[in-house]
Amino acid sequence: MNVIVCLKRVPDVAEIDLQVDASGKSIKTEGLPYVLNDWDNYALEEAIRIKEKTGGKVYALTVGEEADEEVLRRALALGAEEALRVWDPSLREIDPYVIALLLSKTIKDNAIPFDLILTGVQAQDDGYAQVGPILAELLSIPHVTLVNRLELQEKRVKVKRELEGGLEEELEVELPALFTIQSGINEPRYVSILGIKRVAKKEIKVLDLSALKLDPGEVLPKIKVEKLFPPPVGKGAEILKGSLDEISEKLLEIFEKGGVI
Amino acid sequence: MQLVQRFELYACLQCGKCTGGCPVSLRTDLNIRRIMRELIFGEEEVLKKEAIWDCTTCKTCTLRCPRGLEPSEVIVALRATLVEWGRVPKTVIEALEATYVHGNPWGRSRQKRADWAEGIKVKDLTKGEKSEGLYFVGCAPSYDPRLQRVSRSIALIMKLAGVDFGILGISENCCGNEIRRLGEEGLFEELREQNKEKILQSGVKWIVTTSPHCFNALKNEYGLEGIKVYHYTEFFLQLLKEGKIPFKNPLVKKVVYHDPCFLGKQNNIYDLPRYLLRGIPELTLLEFSRSREISLCCEGGGGRMWVEGTGKGTRNSEIRVKDAEALGVDIIATACPFCLLTLEDALKTTGLEERLQVKDIAELLSEALGLEVER
Repeated sequence: MNVIVCLKRVPDVAEIDLQVDASGKSIKTEGLPYVLNDWDNYALEEAIRIKEKTGGKVYALTVGEEADEEVLRRALALGAEEALRVWDPSLREIDPYVIALLLSKTIKDNAIPFDLILTGVQAQDDGYAQVGPILAELLSIPHVTLVNRLELQEKRVKVKRELEGGLEEELEVELPALFTIQSGINEPRYVSILGIKRVAKKEIKVLDLSALKLDPGEVLPKIKVEKLFPPPVGKGAEILKGSLDEISEKLLEIFEKGGVI
Repeated sequence: MQLVQRFELYACLQCGKCTGGCPVSLRTDLNIRRIMRELIFGEEEVLKKEAIWDCTTCKTCTLRCPRGLEPSEVIVALRATLVEWGRVPKTVIEALEATYVHGNPWGRSRQKRADWAEGIKVKDLTKGEKSEGLYFVGCAPSYDPRLQRVSRSIALIMKLAGVDFGILGISENCCGNEIRRLGEEGLFEELREQNKEKILQSGVKWIVTTSPHCFNALKNEYGLEGIKVYHYTEFFLQLLKEGKIPFKNPLVKKVVYHDPCFLGKQNNIYDLPRYLLRGIPELTLLEFSRSREISLCCEGGGGRMWVEGTGKGTRNSEIRVKDAEALGVDIIATACPFCLLTLEDALKTTGLEERLQVKDIAELLSEALGLEVER
């Protein structure tokens, strides 16, 4: 089976004090460390496993600048056959719709033959969780979100979705179809530095708007960020000050008053 | 090349001195003698052994081998194959990826790497300042709050002695010593090149490290020609001899010294840390029955900080603190961040926290010098 996997490179901000940039609509990206979006890592591993099981090819796609090719190299090191990157200098504001539109045009124009498309459930930077569903709609194929198990059958796939309250939903889907992959579906393997270096010279196809026969006027976002800001400080939080003993005593007092102990 | 040829495995006598001296063979499934023979019949089966990740790369086996073979390097080579296949324990994947992205195995922010030096004026050699020497701090002593007391002690002692030194600040990377021993040769090379570039740009003539692990990598695996690399115990002994660190406070304590494998076994530094301790007024130095060449490894090296391993029963570090209690000492002194963390954990799990303390030699020196280490 042929699998298309869509990847995104995102800043790893777990330990960073984020700052809003001068435009007030984005964050300061200077000096930020970047990684493959965690959910996409699971999608990539799942794509490679499907290929190893059934034969066929894996195509890795990303929308982004040259530095974003890092995530495609990772896919190539794992055995993806082809990697494509879409970017155009005219792209300024992009939203999930623009990304999905560029991906759908890339898939159609290059006539990439696919049985499944996998994306992560969401991206850990903006968290929209929209690219998968919009892409499926633009390609007129069925999609299932939050997939945490994928069982291949002939021309069909049995999938499980994770629902609220510990419930799971089982579905049968006709292929071709798109699935957004939940973290934990598999255990992604390690990709060594030597493995990545080995594919350093492998071709990555780069497509701009003219290659996709798109006019900049057609690639406009449907969502525009108005303002990015830290939420106002709320009430109810109290920071205890003093020595360790004083703090401990105050804390004990609060617990006793509140009926915790 | 097959491991059989690369490591001359046909030369192995199967005498068992390797497994006999192995600090983890009693509590894990690792049997290095057996691996040395089984590899002759094929690598595939050996590579299925989870115990490959139990090795602490303490090098005892290699040092004891009568044929001059290198069993500990065989383990590293087996791990390297598993790394290429991507078949690596999850906790190791996290450590390796964090090192690649953030420059340290714990995934702590690069921006906070020099926070340990808060309030101490230390030159940053990547910002145009010049010094004769470089203090290579290391990952754990940069970030771990317990170990920051050690890095702060070292910096303050050097300042007290009037030593001209600087640091690489937030540009310092993981030295890669454990990364190589986890089998990630490619990442090790990357880290080495990045660090070497910064070190050569700084123009320093010597380097002092906190950790025996960084010391080992920089001294033996970096190829830093013309730059002398010291572990801080070597460097401080020199300062003591020159009368540059005059002790003020006596330390009326019984102390036993735990030899870190990467300082003792691997770099033959046994006496210098002991001379330093003996230099502290009123301190009584005792010895473990297993010390120096036969010192019991704490199980913190070779990447074991990030793999629990197949070990069952009492940890070596727990045996170690119980031995120290039996000796009747007040303090276990060591000179390695990993030893310090594993031994201190063992104090907690054995309930000996009230009776014993684990301290780095640098901390004992700063106490005897009357230095205020806390922020």
